[in-house]
Amino acid sequence: MNNPSGSFDRRNVLKAGAAVGVAGLLATPKPTWAASEKPIKIGMIDPITSIFAALGHSEIKGAKFAEAEINKKGGIMGRPLQLIVEDGAGSPGTSIDKAARLVSRDKIDFLIGAVNSASALALSQFANKHNLLYVCTGGHVDSLTGKDCHWNTFRTCSTTWMLTAGDFETLFKKFGKTWYFITTDYAFGHAEQADYITQLKKAGGKVVGGALAPVGTTDFSSYLIDVKAKKPKVLCLLLAGDDQVNCMKQISQFGIDKEIAVGGALIELEELQALPQAALYGWWTMEWYWKQPKTPHVAEFVKAYLAKYPGQYPTARSWFGYASVYAIKLAVERAKSIETLKVVKAMEGLVLPPEIALQPGTPAYRAEDHQLMLSMFPGHAIQTGKYPNLFEVSAIVPGAQLALPPAETGCKIKYPA
Amino acid sequence: MGLILLFNAFNGLIQGAFYALMALGLALILGLNNTINFAQGAFMALAAYFAFTLVPYTGFWGALIAAPLLAGVIGFAVETVLVRRLYSRKDPIYTLLLTFGLALIIQDMIRTIWGAQGKPLAIPGFLNHPLSNTYFFLTGYRLFVVAVALIGTGALFAVLRFTRIGIRIRAGNADLETISALGVNIYLLRTANFIIGIVFAGVAGILAAGQLGLNPTMGDALIMPAFVAIVVGGVGSLVGSLLGGLIIGLASGITTAFFPAASEVVIYVIMGIMLVVRPRGLLGQEGLFE
Repeated sequence: MNNPSGSFDRRNVLKAGAAVGVAGLLATPKPTWAASEKPIKIGMIDPITSIFAALGHSEIKGAKFAEAEINKKGGIMGRPLQLIVEDGAGSPGTSIDKAARLVSRDKIDFLIGAVNSASALALSQFANKHNLLYVCTGGHVDSLTGKDCHWNTFRTCSTTWMLTAGDFETLFKKFGKTWYFITTDYAFGHAEQADYITQLKKAGGKVVGGALAPVGTTDFSSYLIDVKAKKPKVLCLLLAGDDQVNCMKQISQFGIDKEIAVGGALIELEELQALPQAALYGWWTMEWYWKQPKTPHVAEFVKAYLAKYPGQYPTARSWFGYASVYAIKLAVERAKSIETLKVVKAMEGLVLPPEIALQPGTPAYRAEDHQLMLSMFPGHAIQTGKYPNLFEVSAIVPGAQLALPPAETGCKIKYPA
Repeated sequence: MGLILLFNAFNGLIQGAFYALMALGLALILGLNNTINFAQGAFMALAAYFAFTLVPYTGFWGALIAAPLLAGVIGFAVETVLVRRLYSRKDPIYTLLLTFGLALIIQDMIRTIWGAQGKPLAIPGFLNHPLSNTYFFLTGYRLFVVAVALIGTGALFAVLRFTRIGIRIRAGNADLETISALGVNIYLLRTANFIIGIVFAGVAGILAAGQLGLNPTMGDALIMPAFVAIVVGGVGSLVGSLLGGLIIGLASGITTAFFPAASEVVIYVIMGIMLVVRPRGLLGQEGLFE
């Protein structure tokens, strides 16, 4: 710009022209889609950072895998699908900020995501205010499809009630009536513990002790000292993520797993992966598992997933992301519209076909509370296991058999006028 | 109840020794480098991940020695390229912001290189058992951690007391300008001090990983008790940091016997009381907070 007159000389004009040309080339959309076909946008809020990151990454990978598959097969009603991922960092505040950005900047059509319950509840409320369909991928708290349910919120992962019902009988019958709880101190843990205690009392068992551990507790030794003193038959761990890993390691270092049966509701492949061999023990419930020799389509799915992400087996979280994206696709095609209310209506009662369900039975989003009736996979950790063979599924229990009947969930859906 | 209280008190002291080890590195850097090193936790995590990568080649013991030194090399680069430029600014906010940013960068770097998925760090089998059934919380590994904390602290005091560099570090703590005028190269001295601080962080990080496992955010959980130990024990005093670590470990252990949910909060309550009643901490120098 050392041209004092301010007008462009020939060289500058040529340069600018070339730059515009190159930029144009770079910006040309892929030729598979006609220009008129605007993408259908799904916004995804999941933790990429924070203590929930490992779980978030799995969900995002699953969702991206579904996006690629759908686009390869012609998109949704002939329109391409675009997945836009933002980091919610497991915090309700950040999740809502990012969701607001997705709505105003990217004009998303649908919202999915959340690993932890607090973020899930916040996003559900946000979506309700913005008249947006929200599919919760991984926040388990009962109330999301219970007393805090909304007409526009669906959930792919299970409720805490389903998680606890999945293996309660096994733990109770096999190991005994006196239980001790170590519970993570937030919505997810509280809900799980309440659910277990309800079932324990019904069955005639007794709670001999319990402690709430703040999220991020690294040293569980003092809790374990109390456990030893109370001598329960079952030590029930209701922790999540790193806390669960830390506690299980310390239990094995203290040799407690040799004397007291240890179990709990949810375990994830991501957690088992982080444990040394000595700490692979206990009775737990998985929400989906990659090894189902008798279920059709699962082996193909695992193979294709491994081809996209070498060395990384799909986890329950990957499946949540995968199934949630597909559920939206199926509902949109059923509704033949992307209008929120129409898609919501189409999603009620929607059965996931076998190649997407990747489990026995016919899991459907229940119309009364929008909860997916997915199967539970109770079983135990394999003591001598090597990745990815870390869990032995003892049964696959249909979700509808475990979930509370719709009348008891406390959910009453009110649709907009 | 009496026995449980005793168990918890003892257990708290073990935990306290661990806090003390973390606090020492932090206190060193705070003293001579005048830097509140927020990245200390990230350096702990980094050394632990180095150890994770080295274990298949060198075994646990080799990694315990090599990985902190590797972290020290990174510390050397960070000090000479970045931290050094801010010594002349009197306001501590500059180094605070710098190291806070560094902590975030290191954490994301770890996530990019090693993945967000948590990983186990294998420790030698013979350390992985309780010594007796009654005193089940005394595992070989925990006693080993206490031993390392004691040896590390002892070695640090010996260095500070009997070696020339140690005496200069202490002199620099007392009056940097004077020893500079006496011909000591304070830039070199500060670099050496920073590296020693990071190596200490590295050892603490690896020991923590042996007990807790590895994940990118592990440093966040470790650094706060270390800060509290320093504030309670007294800024600028190494003995104070040691004492502070033991005190908050003990307090947290005893609280757990009565009200487990408050065991994390209690250390901050102690810090709060200390800041009101005696802002310089137990053995601290006057000035930094007064």
